[in-house]
Amino acid sequence: MFVKIRRDTLIILLLAFMLILCGRLITYVAFASSDEINDGIPISGIIVKGNDIVPVDTIRANVMQAGFRDGSVIYGDVLKTSKREVSLQDALQTAQEFATQSTVPGTSVMPITAADVQVDKNTGVVTVTVIEDFSSVELENDTRSR
Amino acid sequence: MNKFRMSIICFIILLLTMSSVAATCNIIIITDPTGQDPNGAAAGSMSFADNMFQSTFLMSKNNQFAVLSGGTGSSDTRLDSIVEAVASLENNVSAASAASIASSYEGARLLVGGPNIGAAIGGSFDAYVITVDDASNTIKVTPYNSGVATLQPGQKGAIIHLRNTDGNPMYGTAESVRKETAMNIGKMIRDGYPATTILSEAMGEVANDSGEKYGGGGVNLVSGISTGDMFTPKDMNESGYPMDEEYSKVCDNCGWSVGYPTSENYDKCPVCGGDLTTVFAYEALGSALTVSPSSVSVSVYGSDKPGLASTTKEIVEASVAKYGYDASAISGSINRAINNGLLMGVNHVEPKDINVKQGSKAVGVYYKALPGDRSSPSWDLPIDGNILNILGSIQTAVGIILILLVVFRSRLLKSFQNR
Repeated sequence: MFVKIRRDTLIILLLAFMLILCGRLITYVAFASSDEINDGIPISGIIVKGNDIVPVDTIRANVMQAGFRDGSVIYGDVLKTSKREVSLQDALQTAQEFATQSTVPGTSVMPITAADVQVDKNTGVVTVTVIEDFSSVELENDTRSR
Repeated sequence: MNKFRMSIICFIILLLTMSSVAATCNIIIITDPTGQDPNGAAAGSMSFADNMFQSTFLMSKNNQFAVLSGGTGSSDTRLDSIVEAVASLENNVSAASAASIASSYEGARLLVGGPNIGAAIGGSFDAYVITVDDASNTIKVTPYNSGVATLQPGQKGAIIHLRNTDGNPMYGTAESVRKETAMNIGKMIRDGYPATTILSEAMGEVANDSGEKYGGGGVNLVSGISTGDMFTPKDMNESGYPMDEEYSKVCDNCGWSVGYPTSENYDKCPVCGGDLTTVFAYEALGSALTVSPSSVSVSVYGSDKPGLASTTKEIVEASVAKYGYDASAISGSINRAINNGLLMGVNHVEPKDINVKQGSKAVGVYYKALPGDRSSPSWDLPIDGNILNILGSIQTAVGIILILLVVFRSRLLKSFQNR
């Protein structure tokens, strides 16, 4: 033996080791069983309703541009994105604006006349409700040959 | 001098008529006017020309109609006619009157249709209307090139429009290919193939034989599936994916697949060593649009975590195959998967979070994402988390103190003895 250790020292060391291990385990159990949130609510997903011809992905991408994307976190009334911090109300306003600017892919046709964006502050789910109306689409130049 | 002027005028007129023949290929096929078959109606567009974006094959999922467009007019003209046609179809006008809108725009063409409204083509076109009679199995193929040609609602059949674009090396083949393809579509409808399969075959034939091959894309009207940007060009003034070329290679054994051009490097499957089958673009279109009767359309809400949607789809399909369309059985299967660690980052679901529509074979799952970086739901313990936290900290501290005591044992003992 290189190091001389008495038997009772060894037992005490073992006991200490067990104590620390159990302590850490209990702390983990405490973490796993708690459902408290103390570091904001992350944006978990976007639900798009009411669209028909405009693809969901187009609207979703536009709403993400307004800050409601993966990695953004809500702290109370503030939305913290990867780029900046904005007030949640402003972000919702921008998201509504961006959603109405969704186009039919490959064209400049914007058939979404109104959009409503809601955020559930408990779950982080963003719900986008749009109204799509092709009869009120405005195009810059009417080319109808009468 | 006069003769010379006349010949110039004739030449200019000839040029004008030439350029006005440039156009695309539009096909709409209805094999089940009742709307029961999930693959019973399909539509698609292709062209040799550039800019075949999704606006050339628009689909309404809610009202089950498709608007295919093309023609020689400017893109503004085409857009105006599309917008007007979609607006009127949303107000429940007939297919024929929606298609006739095209004739009020110069050079535009509209092919509209759906499983419930039949189909119609209007504007500037060269089309065949194919009807197949249910009782006698007779195929009727009728050419039209002016006014509005219709396929009556409730009638099995198809409409195909095909012209050659200027500059296409296979210019002049449109006439014969249109007729050939129309005949083949008729035969396949008679033989009972679903519309999506027929569309894929017809587009393959048109792409191979007439050169009007760049996607474009297609839609499945009954199930509401679009190929989206699978074959459309990425930028303005570019052509899309050629529908007669290889799209990907798929392993027959394990289903591994890789797209072109990467797949040119593979001869054998790198996973299981099996043989690879080459999938052509028109076949890829067919398989993207075709819904197998056993498959369930699964929508996932509440979380965009990667992999969640596809894993949920697998679980729901397995559950439906085993227990049927039962919300509590499906939620049980999903919860088991969450407990096993198959699904990460979401909380347990309850039967009320599962939206089951047996009629349209659709299941919606509403997840609640877990806060922070948690990967699994919190444990349900009788003791409060805070008490456990304090207890754990005290134990850790006691353990560390014990170690310190042991390390300095002899010195501590000595200092006590010295007193």
